[in-house]
Amino acid sequence: MLGVLRGMAGTLLTMVRKPVTVQYPDVHKPLPERERGFPVLLWDHEVGEPFCTGCHACERACPTECISVTMKDNPLAAEGTSKRRKIVDRYLLDYGRCTRCRICVEVCNFSANAMNNTWQGHELSRYDRAELVMDLEQLLAQSKAKQIEPWVAP
Amino acid sequence: MAKRGKNRLMVVEEERDLETIDINVNVGPQHPATHGVFRMVLTVSGEKVVDVVPHIGYMHRGAEKLSENADYRQALIFQDRTDYLAQFNCEMCYVMALEKLAGIEVPERAEYIRVILSELNRLTSHYMFAGAFGTDLGVYGTVYTYAFREREFIQEVFEEITGDRMMYGYFRPGGVVWDVPDNFKERVRAVCEKTRIGINDIERLVTGNEIFVARSRDIGVISGEDAIDYGLSGPMLRASGVPVDLRREEPYSIYDRFDFDIPVGERGDSYDRYLVRMEEMRQSLRIIEQALEQMPEGPILPEKLPRRLRLPPGEVYMRTENPRGEYGIYLVSKGGEKPYRLKIRSSCFCNLMALKKMTVGHYVADAVTILGSVDIVLGEVDR
Amino acid sequence: MNQLESLFDNVWIDALWRLLVVLALMVFVVLLLTWGERKVIGRIQMRLGPMRTGPYGILQPIADMIKILLKEDLRPATADRLAFELAPFLAFVPVFLTFVALPFTASWGVRVLSLGLLYFFAVSGLTALGYLIAGWASDNKYALLGAMRTAAQLISYEVPLILAVLALSMLAGSLNLVDIVERQGRVPFVVWQPLGFFIFLMCALSDVTRRPFDTAAAESELVGGPWIEFSSIRWSMLYALTEYAALFALATLGSLIFLGGWDWPLGRDWGWWWQVILIFTKTSLLLMVFLWANGTFARIRVDQLMSFCWKFLLPLGLVQVFLNGLILVYDWPDWTLLVTSGLALAAAGYALHAGLRVKEPLRTVSLRSDA
Repeated sequence: MLGVLRGMAGTLLTMVRKPVTVQYPDVHKPLPERERGFPVLLWDHEVGEPFCTGCHACERACPTECISVTMKDNPLAAEGTSKRRKIVDRYLLDYGRCTRCRICVEVCNFSANAMNNTWQGHELSRYDRAELVMDLEQLLAQSKAKQIEPWVAP
Repeated sequence: MAKRGKNRLMVVEEERDLETIDINVNVGPQHPATHGVFRMVLTVSGEKVVDVVPHIGYMHRGAEKLSENADYRQALIFQDRTDYLAQFNCEMCYVMALEKLAGIEVPERAEYIRVILSELNRLTSHYMFAGAFGTDLGVYGTVYTYAFREREFIQEVFEEITGDRMMYGYFRPGGVVWDVPDNFKERVRAVCEKTRIGINDIERLVTGNEIFVARSRDIGVISGEDAIDYGLSGPMLRASGVPVDLRREEPYSIYDRFDFDIPVGERGDSYDRYLVRMEEMRQSLRIIEQALEQMPEGPILPEKLPRRLRLPPGEVYMRTENPRGEYGIYLVSKGGEKPYRLKIRSSCFCNLMALKKMTVGHYVADAVTILGSVDIVLGEVDR
Repeated sequence: MNQLESLFDNVWIDALWRLLVVLALMVFVVLLLTWGERKVIGRIQMRLGPMRTGPYGILQPIADMIKILLKEDLRPATADRLAFELAPFLAFVPVFLTFVALPFTASWGVRVLSLGLLYFFAVSGLTALGYLIAGWASDNKYALLGAMRTAAQLISYEVPLILAVLALSMLAGSLNLVDIVERQGRVPFVVWQPLGFFIFLMCALSDVTRRPFDTAAAESELVGGPWIEFSSIRWSMLYALTEYAALFALATLGSLIFLGGWDWPLGRDWGWWWQVILIFTKTSLLLMVFLWANGTFARIRVDQLMSFCWKFLLPLGLVQVFLNGLILVYDWPDWTLLVTSGLALAAAGYALHAGLRVKEPLRTVSLRSDA
């Protein structure tokens, strides 16, 4: 009998504790800076082009083969405004296949991508799976708008 | 049939045997208790279970085959997803297998970080067990939310370190991929304080509660010899009285530097398995505290680590004490960047083999209790 | 005016409006309980419960109702048509009928029956029939098994319940609910009959198949409860409505006969509004105890359920009746009631504690540091 009464006393005690619920759509929990949302590409604001040169390093390193990259000659290099001779032409990242393992960020030689540590890296629901394949413009959008401060591993 | 004899008041009827048929009850892949897609077909005679046939494979994703096509860094992420409740322990086993074969030495700080994270993960895994066990027994979710509240605190620490709440991918052969944040020690100490409250909450509700005891005492008993015969490991083996813990038998990493006890049960029933896991949580807290005190500064990866790891040809078997039992990685390498064969010895798969022995002879309602006390994770059973 | 009054003097009209008020009250309480249960359980679990449907989730019962009404009303092709449609009514209507006997204030109830207590239990026992017919009409062997189990549970637990209440009516000397409330006077019967109150609480929980006695609902995970084939409004009648209405009825009855009802304290002195407040406060208290038990306990297995009733609660009920009889015959003072009943309750608690502990100690896990 005692065990039962002890259990009931226990639940009575927890009834008066403050609830731990965070009411999500109204309140967003603050994310730590190392948060690993889906990867995004970074925009070089000084030169006005993406950091990514299309070197295929991330495409080779991805375990699920969700990245597809092509490179082209950089028109800005011909003008002389940019040091990058090649630039990314087409970049497709399938968020539906990505496991967010961060290996693509680890192998990038140009620090051109980063894991999205904002809530936009998580609130990505779509009704159609094909819409989860992100192209270059979508991946650069947040960095172009200066809405992201990615974390660089020490 | 009335016998007409001298005494006409006597009517004697022949005894007719009541024909009974055993029913097959399908505890289907969509399980009401939270253990994953697992199917058991119970053959029931009246109320008692006569036969149990488990059907697994609903969650087979080919982790071992996928690892053959991935190099060693990529194959790490598949380890997270086998036992998705004890990820650091699985990753630890995998990277230690690689280090054993390649002869890589791990810096001290990385060892300590690994041990602390593995033990914290043991805590989360046992909390999940406590929650699911209570739910299997019929509580309306009270034990479950207590357990998940505590898990949430620990997962927040993991999120601050690795960036992810569940699939960390943080260990690398040689150490860990980046250093922990500066407030690591304070955070982990604060979390340990909080989780003690959670353990006490759950114990106050479950341990000693007559209803729980009546539902789980002497249910699913398996003796020590049978446990060894069936290849059980982990808390299931220890609850049956066999004091085997791989952290003691074959100390891997730096476990020989810590002072902790091993809970061993006497009766081998579901209640003992629950008690063993609760005690293990307390012992994990002890290990974490000692590790926090001893943790040095320093590098977290060895100096001369090649960019792409190439393992010499050979084979290695590495086993660790996961929260669910003995998790083993058998790695065959033919030189090169990808493993030739990566076999995972999964603890839950072997623990499930004893299900029939434990369940036959009990009631139907007990089958769910026993399954809950085995604490399976389908990702590990099916890989 | 006179015509209006004479209209209400008509027995049928009078009964009709009282029944309508009680019906409205019951529906309101059932809706309140669907919301309140989730809030209370949420609070026990340190979370908020429904918050988004209306402010603080107040409109949650309306949302549930709309959802249930819009669901497809399935009926198995081989189910017995008449019995299938009749079963939810058979389960629900007796519960509503029990409200006829309950007096909510000193002068207001649907009817003051001189055999009110007997009527209450006689009628509420018909619910078991509803469950049985529901299970049989579904043409599903699991539903039938579940229904038989539920019926067995309901019938078994009626016996100690009636014994406890019988003991109490021996004290009060009447089966009339108003009389029982008034006889309590300055001290409610819970003080004189702690054992009876304990038995009442256990049996009330079981009579509405709530935790820890809800194997009927839980077996639907594995084998199937009696309402497995029912959907939409039929299911809601059979499961939610009956359960909450019966809970409300039993809580009201408990507060009437054990806690002093609308009379203690100072009910008769302060008028009908105070009586209403009193009775609803006490009913809410008992309902909170039931909801608290729902959030805390695991469910006990069906064979343990039966042995708990027949081997534990029934002898206790008989003991209570015997003690009461002894004290009444020899005309001992009232405090002997408290002492004997309290001692019997303590002995029962100890027996339960000792019986479930078996012989070996509870913590059978030792810590080895050498291993």
